[in-house]
Amino acid sequence: MTPASSSSREMHPQLMLLLELQDLRAQHRELEGDEGAAPVEAEHFNIDRDEARTTLGKKIEELEDRLSPSIRSRYNRIAPNRERVVVPVINGVCYGCFVSIATATVGDQDVHQLVQSCENCGSFIYVAS
Amino acid sequence: MKLRELFTSDSVELDLSAESKDDILKELIQLLGLDDKSDAILFKTLKRRENLGSTGIGKGIAIPHCRSLVVNKLRLAYGRKPEGVDFQAIDEEPVHNFFLIVAPPLEVSNQYLPVLGKIAQFAKDPDIPEVLSGIETAEEFLTLLEERAP
Repeated sequence: MTPASSSSREMHPQLMLLLELQDLRAQHRELEGDEGAAPVEAEHFNIDRDEARTTLGKKIEELEDRLSPSIRSRYNRIAPNRERVVVPVINGVCYGCFVSIATATVGDQDVHQLVQSCENCGSFIYVAS
Repeated sequence: MKLRELFTSDSVELDLSAESKDDILKELIQLLGLDDKSDAILFKTLKRRENLGSTGIGKGIAIPHCRSLVVNKLRLAYGRKPEGVDFQAIDEEPVHNFFLIVAPPLEVSNQYLPVLGKIAQFAKDPDIPEVLSGIETAEEFLTLLEERAP
């Protein structure tokens, strides 16, 4: 397994925040309905689904408030309609829309110092190697 | 997919050095061999999951787990702390055995939840804690998985 990112420089703080948001949204989504993680979490870990979803929802809102206005605006356009706000780019392909991303956008070794979006689907991108 | 196939000997540590819950999580994350930034993001995500309720399921076993964009396939690690650590487990007893499970948000093979359930089932086998405590090498651990969690 290759690490998802290998840049030695700092990741853009807003991208880091988006990644955290993405992970929290995934957890939140997975506790929806009677399928997915909810029954497993309840059976093996005694998790109260409603309580957990409320806690996660609050944390998501808290993190959303820390997004800069321009990124928040892009985020708000994407978030209501898509499960994934940030999508991985693997081997140059956006896993939000499965369209190739320009090498100029993702080829730089310090790609994570910028918050970039897929030109086709608009999702924020995170380059996995 | 057999559990055995999801572990490598590199992702098994039979003598964790950490002394606290947070440090145990960090040490487990390191077994996955990600970069520092990914480690930091994963730690936060695992901590947030722990804040919902401990993944310590009792009898000295914990299964910290989450989905995270920092991995692009299902990753597992196992760590053992013979002396045990307070992990706020359900039975309030120290935890000795830790199974870390991390899956990407987008998972084509959809193995995460079945694997989570399978490990929880394996860990709940009454004699498993004792068997795990007697393991001396990573290979023995992998053989145990092969025999008891096919």
